[in-house]
Amino acid sequence: MDELLSLSAVEISKRIADGSLNKEKVYSFFKERIKKSNPSLNAFVQIYDAPPAASGISSLSGAPIAIKDNICIRGKKITCASKILSSHASVYDATVVEHLKQAGLQIIGTANMDEFAFGSSTENSCYGPSRNPWDTTRVPGGSSGGSAAAVAARLVPLALGSDTGGSIRQPASLCGVVGMKPTYGRVSRYGLVAFGSSLDQIGPITTNFTDCAHLLNIICGPDSNDSTAAASGTPDFTEYLRDDIKGLTIGIPAEYYGEGLNSEVASAVKKVIEYFKEKGAKVADISLPHTEYAIATYYIIGSCEASSNLQRFDGVRYGLRAACSSLSELYMRSRQEGFGDEAKRRIFLGTYSLSSGYYDAYYLRALRARQLIKQDFDKAFNAVDVILTPTSPTVAFKIGERNMDPLSMYLSDIYTISSNLAGVPAVSFPCGSSSAGLPIGAQLIAKEFDEATLIRLGFCFQCGTDYHKRIPKIV
Amino acid sequence: MDKYDIVIGLEVHVQLNTNSKIFCGCSTNFDSPPNTNICPVCCGYPGVLPVFNKRALELAVRICLALGARVNKKIYFERKNYFYPDLPKNYQISQYKMPLGEKGSLELSSGKKIGITRVHLEEDAGKLIHKENASLVDFNRTGTPLLEIVSEPDITSPEEAFDYLTYLKLTLQYIGASSCDMEKGFLRCDANISLKNKGATELGTKVELKNMNSFRGVRDALTYEAKRQRDALEKGEKISLETRAFDAAKMKTVLMRSKEEAHDYRYFPEPDLLDFSISQDILEQEAPYIKELPLARRKRIQKQYGISEKETDILISDIFLADFFEEACTMFAKPKEITNWLLGVFLEQVNLLSEKFNAVKMSPQNFSKVVRYFCENKLNNLAAKKVISLCIVTDEDIDAVIERESLAQVSAEAALSGFVQETINENKKAIKEYLEGKEQAIMFLVGMVMKKSKGKANPKVVREMLEKAIKLLKSNEAANS
Amino acid sequence: MVDKKTVEYVAGLARIEVSEEQKQFLESQLSNILSYIDKLKKLDVEGVEPLRGLHLERNVLRNDEVKPSTAKEEILENAPSRQERYFKIPKVLE
Repeated sequence: MDELLSLSAVEISKRIADGSLNKEKVYSFFKERIKKSNPSLNAFVQIYDAPPAASGISSLSGAPIAIKDNICIRGKKITCASKILSSHASVYDATVVEHLKQAGLQIIGTANMDEFAFGSSTENSCYGPSRNPWDTTRVPGGSSGGSAAAVAARLVPLALGSDTGGSIRQPASLCGVVGMKPTYGRVSRYGLVAFGSSLDQIGPITTNFTDCAHLLNIICGPDSNDSTAAASGTPDFTEYLRDDIKGLTIGIPAEYYGEGLNSEVASAVKKVIEYFKEKGAKVADISLPHTEYAIATYYIIGSCEASSNLQRFDGVRYGLRAACSSLSELYMRSRQEGFGDEAKRRIFLGTYSLSSGYYDAYYLRALRARQLIKQDFDKAFNAVDVILTPTSPTVAFKIGERNMDPLSMYLSDIYTISSNLAGVPAVSFPCGSSSAGLPIGAQLIAKEFDEATLIRLGFCFQCGTDYHKRIPKIV
Repeated sequence: MDKYDIVIGLEVHVQLNTNSKIFCGCSTNFDSPPNTNICPVCCGYPGVLPVFNKRALELAVRICLALGARVNKKIYFERKNYFYPDLPKNYQISQYKMPLGEKGSLELSSGKKIGITRVHLEEDAGKLIHKENASLVDFNRTGTPLLEIVSEPDITSPEEAFDYLTYLKLTLQYIGASSCDMEKGFLRCDANISLKNKGATELGTKVELKNMNSFRGVRDALTYEAKRQRDALEKGEKISLETRAFDAAKMKTVLMRSKEEAHDYRYFPEPDLLDFSISQDILEQEAPYIKELPLARRKRIQKQYGISEKETDILISDIFLADFFEEACTMFAKPKEITNWLLGVFLEQVNLLSEKFNAVKMSPQNFSKVVRYFCENKLNNLAAKKVISLCIVTDEDIDAVIERESLAQVSAEAALSGFVQETINENKKAIKEYLEGKEQAIMFLVGMVMKKSKGKANPKVVREMLEKAIKLLKSNEAANS
Repeated sequence: MVDKKTVEYVAGLARIEVSEEQKQFLESQLSNILSYIDKLKKLDVEGVEPLRGLHLERNVLRNDEVKPSTAKEEILENAPSRQERYFKIPKVLE
C-alpha cells in the first residue's frame, strides 16, 4: 500500500472508482499512518475511527482529507486548539464540509493549529506545537501548521486550512506543499470559526496543483448562509491544468525582495522566475509601494475583528465555564482560563484599538491604509497578470525561537498579509530546498477571482520540476 | 406659574412584523416554549454568519416613509460591543454611522410636530428571568428585528410624551409595520428628561429613564422625574447625568447607574454583512402602504361623519375599528347609529374575547344590517344585542339567526293586543299608581308585556298601546261613575 | 505608551481577568506592538476612503421565511449549566 504515498488524491480516487483500490482500506491505511506518526508530528487533534457519512461522487470521492480544527463538522469536536472550546461539539456542518460530504471525500480527522488561528508556527495550540516533518525540531509554520505538516508527511493527501494573513501559504511554504488562499468570497466562510471576518478564507492544502484544482472546484461556490460569499459562478479549475503559460506577464515587486529576505530563499525564487521565462512568460518589474504598512494595518484590522468575534466565548451557552459565583466572575475567569497568551494579546490589541478615543487613530486609519494597499494591487494588475514573490522570508525556524517575541513572529507574515487585505487570491508552492534540506516556497498572487491563472502557472511549474514529489522521511 | 420648561426626548424600539428573525430563519413567534425558536446563528455559535431579512428592511423603509424621514441610499450595519448574558455574540448588530432614516417627524393631535432624529435597524436581545439564586436565559426573542426611533428633545410635557407614543403606535399599526403591543414587549420606550429655565436656550442636565412598561408608565415616570428635578433645582442642588429606573409599584424613579459607568461600545462596521442600497424600487413598493395616517384620518372621519371628537378618537385608536366603521357606514349611511352600536355593544363583546379584534369574524356588512334592522324596528334593543353577541365570532347570515332564534320584533298591534289586555287585567295596582301620576309605573307594564311576548314586542308600540288602553279604561270608568 | 491603568481598563472591556504579573507582561508587549504599529502614523491617508470590506456593493437579502430550528436540543445540551429549557447563570444583579 505504500505506493499510495506517491499517488495524487485524484489518482487515489480514480483507483477507488475503478475498483483497483478499496475505499475502506485507503482510509485505514492513512489512519494507521497518522496514528504511527502523530506522536512525533502532533499534526492531528482528532482522528476519526470512521469518516462521517459522505455519499456523493466526484473526482475526489474516497480521498481522505484532514480539516483544520476551526471548521465545523456536525457532531464532532471543534476546538480551534483552544481550552475554551476543548470539549465543544459542533451542532452543524460548515458549508465546505457539506460540499466535501456531497463530493464523497472521507474526512479523517481535525488538524492542529494556532489557537483561533493566531500565529505563524502552530506553537500557540492548547495541544502543544505541531512539528515540521522535514525537521521535527522546527515549526511547520502556522496557523494551519497541522494541515500542512500532515499533507507534507503524506499522513493524508488533502487538507483544508484557513488563511487570514498567510495561515495556509506560510505553513505550505515551510512544509513544501501547495497551499492556496482563494479570493475573499470565493469559498463560503459559514462554519469557519471567525478570526478576522473581512480577511478569512478557507483554502486547499495539497501536494500538487492537480489536487488543488479539483479540491477548489468542490469547495467553491455561492452560499445562502454567507452574505460575503461571491454570487458569481465558479469556473472548472481543472481546465487550467495545462502546461502552457505563453502570453502571461509576471510582475516582480521590488518590495518583496529586499532586506530581511534569506538569500537561499531569494535565489530559489529567482530560479522560478527563470523557469517561467523559459516557458514563454514575460516578466516585468512592478512596485507595491504600501507593502511596508501591511503588517501594521493587518494587526489592527485583524485584532479588532478578532476581539469582537471572540466575545461569544463567554461560558454562558457553550464551552468552558470557570468556577464562579457571579456573572462578572463567570466572564472574567472563563476567558482568563480559556484563552492562551496570544489570543489574549490579540483581544487586548483589538479592544484597545476600538476603544473610545483610539478608533480614529488606529482602526479608521488602518481602513484607509487598507484602501491604499488594495489600490497598489489594482494598479499592478493593470500591467501584469500575476505577481511572483517569496512566500516567507525564511525557511522553517526552530520551535521556541520566536514565540517569546510576538513582533518577530508577526513579521514572518510580511509577504502573505497584503493579499488578505486586498482580498486577492494567492498560492504557495514548493520551489526548492535550503542547504539544510528545508523546503522553500514561492508565492503567486493573481487578481480577484483569477485563481485559474495561479493554477495554470503552478501546474506548468510542477510539469518541469519534482519539488512537489519530495517526501520527508518520518519516524 | 412654573419657572422651568420640561425637555423630553424619547427612544422607542419597535419589533417589526416579520415571520422570521432579522438574521436567521428562526420564527419570531412570541409565545413558544423557552429556547425553541433558536439555532446556531441566533445563539452566537462559533462560525455562524448573519443574512439580512428582506422584509425587515422593507418594513423599516415603510416606517421611515410614514415618519417623513430621509431614507439613506446606502446603509450598513455595525457591531455594538458589550457583554450581557441575553446577547449571545456579546455584540449587537445595529446601525451607527449610517442609519436607515434621518430627520423625520410625527404630528400630534394638537398639530405640533415632534422631530425624529434617526431611525435605525438592529437585532433584539433575549430574555432574562431572575430567580432566587440564579438567572435563566431564553434566546427565543434574540434576533427579532427591531427598529429604534429616536425623537428630538421636542416634547415638553409628560402628556405630550403620552400623545407622541399613542400616535407613533397608531401610525405603525396603520401601515402594518408593527403591532406595537407594549404588554408583549413589541414596543419599548426609554426617555431623556431635563429641565431648563423658562425660555432659556441652554439645556439642563438630562437624566435617562428606563424600565417603563406602558404608555401610562412613561407618563408617570416623566411626571415624577420632572417633579424630582424641579424640587432638586429649587433646593439649589445639581442634577447629575445618570440613568434611573422607574418603579411602577412605588411610582418613583431610582438610580440605576451614574455617568462614570458609561459604556464604551467600540462600534465598528459589521464585516459579515455587505452594504445595502435602498433602491427606488423599494421606496415605490412601500409608498402605497402610507395611504392615510391616523391623524389625517381622525380629521376626515370627524368632518365626514359628523361625530364627536371623543368618539372619533376611539374609532381611530385601532385601524380595525376605523376600517370597520367606515365600511359599515357605506352599507348603512347613519354614522351616528353605527357609532353608538360599534362603540357600545360591539366593543363590549370584543372585550370579552381574549384575542380581541383578531377574533372578530362578523363583517361590517352584517353589522350594519343589524343596526339598520334596529332603526327600522325590525329588531328591538335586546334582540339586536343578542344578534351581535351571537354573530361576532361566526359571521352567520343575520336573517337566518333572527329566524332561528325568533328574534324579529313584533310591532303589529293585532299580535300584541292580547298581551296588552292581559297585562291591564292583571295589574290594577300599577295602573292605579300610573293614573295617580306615577310615570314609571308604565315602564313596569311595558316590561310585563315584553315578558309575555318573550322579548319580541316593540316596546315603543307596546307603550303606545298601553297608554291608549289605560286612557280608554279611565274614560270608561269616568263614564260609569 | 500603554500603562497599567489602560491594561486594566481594556481587561474590563474584554472581560478577561489578569494577574499583576500578566498586567506587566501585557503592558510591555502591547507597548512594543503599538510602537511598531505607529509607523502607520507617518502614512499620508488624507482624503483616502476607508476600505470597510471587499465587494460591498451587492444587496444580499433573504426572504422572510421561517426555517425549522433543527439544532435546538443539541444547543441546550451544550449549555454548561441549565435548568429545564433555560441556560442558567449566576444571578444577574440589575
